[in-house]
Amino acid sequence: MSTDFFEQLGIMQLSDSFFPSGLYATSNGLEILIHDRKIKTANELGELIKIFIKQQIGPADCVALCNIYNFIAENDFEKIIQADKMLYSMKLVKEIRETSTRSGIQLIKCIQSFKDQKILKLYSDSITKGESTGVYPVCFAIASYSLGVKKEHAATMLLYGFTVGMVGAALRMGIVEHFEAQKIIDDLKNEIANTVQKNINKSISEMWQFAPEIDIVQITHERLAEKMFIT
Amino acid sequence: MNQNRIPRVGIGGPVGCGKTMLIERVVPVLASSGYSVSIISNDVISKEDANRMRLNLATKRGLLPENLVVGLATGGCPHTAVREDPSMNLAVIEEMETKHQELDLIIIESGGDNITTTFSPALADYFIYIIDVAGGDKYPRKRGLGIETADLLVINKIDLAPLVNANLEVMEKDAKAVRDNKPYVFVNCKTDKGIDQVASHIMHNVLFDEPPKAQQLKR
Repeated sequence: MSTDFFEQLGIMQLSDSFFPSGLYATSNGLEILIHDRKIKTANELGELIKIFIKQQIGPADCVALCNIYNFIAENDFEKIIQADKMLYSMKLVKEIRETSTRSGIQLIKCIQSFKDQKILKLYSDSITKGESTGVYPVCFAIASYSLGVKKEHAATMLLYGFTVGMVGAALRMGIVEHFEAQKIIDDLKNEIANTVQKNINKSISEMWQFAPEIDIVQITHERLAEKMFIT
Repeated sequence: MNQNRIPRVGIGGPVGCGKTMLIERVVPVLASSGYSVSIISNDVISKEDANRMRLNLATKRGLLPENLVVGLATGGCPHTAVREDPSMNLAVIEEMETKHQELDLIIIESGGDNITTTFSPALADYFIYIIDVAGGDKYPRKRGLGIETADLLVINKIDLAPLVNANLEVMEKDAKAVRDNKPYVFVNCKTDKGIDQVASHIMHNVLFDEPPKAQQLKR
């Protein structure tokens, strides 16, 4: 079997909703937007996801992931720790930070249970020592690398996973049905592809995120007494 | 195996069967024996159950610190959160294990769900499934993974049996049959009937009748 074949299986395994990450319990603030009737249609949902991708996931998470791949190749673990801390500091909402690290750490533990890779152990140990936070996109990069997934594909999976997570949350909250959900995902393919190409070669110092209205929505959501989702 | 692993009991059952109330009744019995307990409550739509247990067990009675009752939202997927993908529960538990080695037991309450609920063995060492008589005396014989495979079946609200024409003898006979003689307890959480038995099952089968950690440290 070729390396490509195993890469494809790695992509399928990590992208599958059956893979445990806990992220199905998050809506990234979508719950309150639906509750307050600020998002009512499939089109509005698609536009919101685009904003997330353009303003947060692309320039921050995706850039971090791509740089982690470079740092692993350069054997520069200090830079991985630095990127981890930088990305964590960009997650301004408490529940988003907590969820990101909780999911990330569990993801690394899961991969470590069946893969023996030096980078997995190094990173896992640095989390235990409190040197790294375990923020999800960094963990996802290390997990993808460990499964033989190429950088570009890992970045695509990260954006695709985020998109599916948002659409899945919307479906459970009843604003889209299953065919509409797939159409939104299909419509966002260009956005995902362009975002990967735009960010894949950016350096870690070019990482940014800016979506203040979303931050405020998420802060409001995390304070709700009654909610289905972890922000 | 994680050396710091604290024993865990998972409690699952349908909406309104009395999961939260069972915990509110069992924890004082465990606490009176000196055991230090924390609670994670997976809720479907709110943190109401966690807030109620925090108020009743921690704030009012001081049986555990307030920060050791944790509510978790499940994104509308209560069974996924305790079985297919228990990542968030495990993350919270591992944080507790790091910060609170004094704990003897962690109780994980599932969000209300259907009769196929079970816990991932990675999450819970012992699984209690609770139903109530108001669903009718057919409940045990309808089977379902929860009823059949739980380490302990609790049948709650037995005081309501005459009011809903539920025959407890039928429920007992069926529970024995479908569970292959694994234990069951009839409970009335309002009067504490059966609560000591549930606590005894936990102390014997999960804590192996070991003294609480606090007592072990004093020796």
